[in-house]
Amino acid sequence: MRKTSFSAVVLAVIALAALPGALASPATRAADPGITSTTILLGGTAPLTGPAAAYASVARGAKAYFDSVNAKGGVAGRKIQYKYLDDGYDPAQTVQDTRQLVEQDKAFAIFNTLGTEVNLSIRDYLNAHKIPQLFAASGATTFGRDVAQYPWTIGFQPSYQAEGWVLGQYLAKTKKRGKVGVLFQNDDYGKDLLGGFKRGLQSSGVKVVAAQPYEVTASDVSSQVAKLKASHAGIFAIFATPKFAIQAYVFANRLGWRPAVIDNAVSAASNIMLLASEGGKNKAVEGTVALNFLKDPTDERWKKDPGVRTYRAIMSKYAKGANVNDVYHVYGMAVAYETVSLFKRLGANPTRAGLMAKARSLNDPSNPFLLPGIAVKTGPGDGFPIQQGQLQRWTKGRWAPFGGIWTSKKL
Amino acid sequence: MSRLGFVAFAAFVVFVAVLPTFVSDFKAQQYAYVGIYLIALLGLNVLTGYTGQISLGHGAFMAIGGYTSAILMVGNEQFGGPIGGGVEDFWTIPVAGVVAGLVGLAFGLPALRLSGLYLALATFAIAVAMPSAIKRFADFTGGGTGINLFGKPELTGGLTGVTVLGRQLSFNDWLYYLAWTIALVAFAVAWLILRGRTGRAFRAVRDSETAAVSSGVSLARYKTLAFGISAAYAGVAGALFAVANTYVNPDTFPIALSIFLLVGVVVGGLGGLSGLVFGAIFIEFLPLWAQGEDLGSHLPGFLVDETKKPGGPAIVYGVVLILLMFVLPSGVGGLFRRVGEAFTRRR
Repeated sequence: MRKTSFSAVVLAVIALAALPGALASPATRAADPGITSTTILLGGTAPLTGPAAAYASVARGAKAYFDSVNAKGGVAGRKIQYKYLDDGYDPAQTVQDTRQLVEQDKAFAIFNTLGTEVNLSIRDYLNAHKIPQLFAASGATTFGRDVAQYPWTIGFQPSYQAEGWVLGQYLAKTKKRGKVGVLFQNDDYGKDLLGGFKRGLQSSGVKVVAAQPYEVTASDVSSQVAKLKASHAGIFAIFATPKFAIQAYVFANRLGWRPAVIDNAVSAASNIMLLASEGGKNKAVEGTVALNFLKDPTDERWKKDPGVRTYRAIMSKYAKGANVNDVYHVYGMAVAYETVSLFKRLGANPTRAGLMAKARSLNDPSNPFLLPGIAVKTGPGDGFPIQQGQLQRWTKGRWAPFGGIWTSKKL
Repeated sequence: MSRLGFVAFAAFVVFVAVLPTFVSDFKAQQYAYVGIYLIALLGLNVLTGYTGQISLGHGAFMAIGGYTSAILMVGNEQFGGPIGGGVEDFWTIPVAGVVAGLVGLAFGLPALRLSGLYLALATFAIAVAMPSAIKRFADFTGGGTGINLFGKPELTGGLTGVTVLGRQLSFNDWLYYLAWTIALVAFAVAWLILRGRTGRAFRAVRDSETAAVSSGVSLARYKTLAFGISAAYAGVAGALFAVANTYVNPDTFPIALSIFLLVGVVVGGLGGLSGLVFGAIFIEFLPLWAQGEDLGSHLPGFLVDETKKPGGPAIVYGVVLILLMFVLPSGVGGLFRRVGEAFTRRR
């Protein structure tokens, strides 16, 4: 240390002491955290930056919906405040943000936190403290399956294994034989999809001949796509998040590879598909098959649908400047809608335990933001709120649904 | 150190010791992270600030420390690995430092042949490869699912808190004292290393390798040593990071962490120790402040209200970083030096 160290340390002391909030008095613990006579505080994290930033719209859509409900007086006289922090899809940041939401902001429940690893990183903490981890935005099977071990955790969307299974079954039923090349994210999400997919293909003539993993931190997937092409697969399964799914389409096209493509729901939003199709130039996108459970706001069929009209009205009022065609906003509204109806059922004095009990006995056949025929349902032995979906094919710049509603077996 | 320096350091120790009494339980946890980052920054500054070797891969050394700690605590038999675990968190911290230090020494050898940007790229490569490597050896590390430490008996505190010297501490306060005790010791050790012969040799290597060699300083020895020390510091920080997070997984130590550490060293001031506290505060708090946390009422809403302006916080972060580099090109440490010089001149 130099001669000046004295002034240095003195300055350090002064500045550290002056940090905002540093000298705030210790907060007193309320009997009922996160709930007052006029408010309910929900906390969560979202990837506002980083490799999964495309999903930020999920949180924004949910917030817009809560704001619209609050404008009409809220639920049982309470306004639902939804505070979400940026975790950049980094589980270490999620842990810190979630602890802040629980310990400093006193959130009533952690809601709609997005990402598989991200939700895994806080699950033990939340369950140990008996804080609801409500509608975790991940399709990892563990969130619906391990209810006994983690009673305070519940997911929302169809599980990735179930989705993979449906896609596998579809191929098994429609094709006599075929070779599939799979691109998957090297984590629980990608592996769940691949595992379910293989089970769906079981005892059919369609075989997975190559499976290439990529890391979520990778910059691109060009080498994986080249290897999959070299495997002479005629079917290309993309189990990747939006950024990488778009790359997969683009690279496949550049390599002159024209496989039949199946895509996973998390990357099958119309806006993502339009980006991937490079203004219609990329023919690899045409004919893609994916599973869907949300109403796509760009779909002509829903032009006069009350759900989509509500959606558009809320977006134009509470999320000015956001891209209304981004279907992840619809996901956010669907999950917020379900949350609002949960709180309505909870009555005048919501408790955390009561919230979980009601979340374990959902039965909503008509969430206006989900496709008709898709129910939100849970019960004893069933920890998966949504287990249904509809297959759709990308035709001339839009999704065209085909077949009926698929209900996944217990997976 | 001058006598005043000792007094100042003692004053700082007292300040650190009493801080949790004045802040909320949760804030204590955030300051614990400041202590953890400080340890990593001290190590990185030995390498980058004093020896002139740029590392963009210190997050990887933190990962090695973090995983060493987590595996020693919980074991990896559950994934099919050979280690039974069961070591209390406290004792895994020095082991993590040693393991990371040895890896650092080993990496220091090939790094001898690289300098400047090329070394930065080589170290960056470790940071890039680390998450994949952890996933590749899933039966040893648990792969992408990671290792959970919360609720395990080896984790001190956890739900119940802990009694130290007859005082009941909450988990967050315990983390704070654990991190800062180690950070202050690490600070003193770094100061002892850097004040004498070794520190002079490091600085000689930084300022001119040719001059250093002609004065009899062995480049190989001191560069490798700097790598080893700095990696050991990162390992200790990583172990504490794992304990504080109560969870490790490959993405817990992303490439961004390595970059943030370098940013922290530059903000704190290369080639000085006292400014690094600010580098650590910068790493921990700026991402939150940029989102309007803590400072919410002091910043105009249009800057940070996420729903109104998506991407606002990221821009705030970038702008603050650029401004800081304009105003304080030599970091907070450089500011201290200038203020100090002004004082001494007046006297």
